[in-house]
Amino acid sequence: MNLLFAPHDSREGGAIPLPARIVGGLCAFLLVALVFAYAFHSLQYHWGWESVYAYRQKFINGWLMTLAISAAALLMSLVIGLCTALAQRSHFLPLRYLSKLYIEGIRGTPLLVQILVFFYVVADAFGVGDRYAVGVITLSLFAGAYISEIIRAGIESVGESQLESGRAIGLTRPQIYRHVVFPQAFRQTLPPLAGQFASLIKDSSLLSIIAVSEFTLNAQEVNAFTYSTLESYLPLAAGYLVLTLPISLLSRRLEKKFRYET
Amino acid sequence: MNLVRTLLSRAGGWLPGLLAALVLSIATAHAAGRDTLVVGMELAYPPFEMTDTAGRPTGVSVDLAHELGKFLGKKIVIQNMAFDGLIPALKTGKIDLIISSMTANAERARSIDFSDPYLSTGLCLLVGKDSPVKGIKDLDQPGRSVAVKKGTTGHAWAGKNLKKARVLVLDKEAAAVLEVVQGKADAFIYDQMSTYQNWQKNQATTRAILEPFQKESWAVGIRKGNGDLRKKVNAFLADFRKRGGFERLGDQYLKEQKEAFKKLGYPFYL
Repeated sequence: MNLLFAPHDSREGGAIPLPARIVGGLCAFLLVALVFAYAFHSLQYHWGWESVYAYRQKFINGWLMTLAISAAALLMSLVIGLCTALAQRSHFLPLRYLSKLYIEGIRGTPLLVQILVFFYVVADAFGVGDRYAVGVITLSLFAGAYISEIIRAGIESVGESQLESGRAIGLTRPQIYRHVVFPQAFRQTLPPLAGQFASLIKDSSLLSIIAVSEFTLNAQEVNAFTYSTLESYLPLAAGYLVLTLPISLLSRRLEKKFRYET
Repeated sequence: MNLVRTLLSRAGGWLPGLLAALVLSIATAHAAGRDTLVVGMELAYPPFEMTDTAGRPTGVSVDLAHELGKFLGKKIVIQNMAFDGLIPALKTGKIDLIISSMTANAERARSIDFSDPYLSTGLCLLVGKDSPVKGIKDLDQPGRSVAVKKGTTGHAWAGKNLKKARVLVLDKEAAAVLEVVQGKADAFIYDQMSTYQNWQKNQATTRAILEPFQKESWAVGIRKGNGDLRKKVNAFLADFRKRGGFERLGDQYLKEQKEAFKKLGYPFYL
């Protein structure tokens, strides 16, 4: 049995025997571990975990805040993305151009500037003072623009001939979307969507500039108090990984599930 | 197909070597040479650390660094980095000295050494123009929020002493001032000179309570176990003061503040 090679086409994904999977996975893990072990070994650094451990409650609070912000922004950005993706295909032209303007405006400018402008200028003008609400909305608007394009690409990947066939058998426009377009678009959009959601979680760290007390800001504060950079930031990386890994695992599982249906 | 596999196996031959070289070059990338001193500072604190219109570092600390270089006969390289990254950079040898308006306090002294102090100042408050706040005691109340800049002594002080008020931790001084200007924060805890300047810039919306509730002094940061350099820096600071160097820098960069502080009766020495 060949432990190191598998056929290219991963559609037979389940066919890789378990020992080969273990050996392959272990090889990859060892290679990465080796590089980092060497790098950390040659680092002249005096580790001081105790002083950081004293601030563990700060890490937990920050992590929970990031979890809450990300979850709220994730749902909201999905709604915004879906609406604007459909609006881009609208027959009503002002709506179509409005969503195009939104997407290009948001994707073409830095999130940092958007957060500052939304909080200190727009929200201030409308009398919204809650930095957490403004933070979630800004993050949702930012991610929504990317999600909109991902969904649009998914919808447009369904060929024109299928829409014509749908019309030919007498389906209405909503019916075509419901039964023909969305099931196919859904599978197409899953991998980029999972990537976008992982980005959203990491991008939430930028909300620290308007003093939203999330994970990254708390880790930076601990670093500022204890001067233990790596001891503050390595748990930070692990904390984000705990949030992003389930998303990509879930996306893989859904992909597999919907593979045969479409 | 075979071609790809051969290519890959060839690449496998030199890839570990490349990786090792990369890791090695990162590990040994220390900036300090024998005849240069790398001075770290955050160029975002005018008029002490800033950049001119052409992007060159300038300000009191920059001039001080170059004077120190002249005194020691060494070339000075200014390294711009975030304030809370300065101490880690010093500890790992990426820079040799910190001259960044850094307060010498006990927490920091646990990880680095400090020269003799070269400037004394204190923490005070910038509050909203119509705010009823009279001093730090009025601030620690439920429902009040206090802005601080991340990693500053004001931040550390607020974390330790403000139990009831909400502490807003901001990355940038300008954002913290804006919080007070827009009434989102009740006060901004910062040093006297910057507070004075921020008040001057926003006279219509803010008020400064310059009476310091915590005195502090700035010093040059030096890596632990580098006592020789510390002695030299102290010798330079004493000599520079005797030659009237600090007086000159104060007149050059801080004339207005100096006079204002004299008028207000607050001690000011650089």
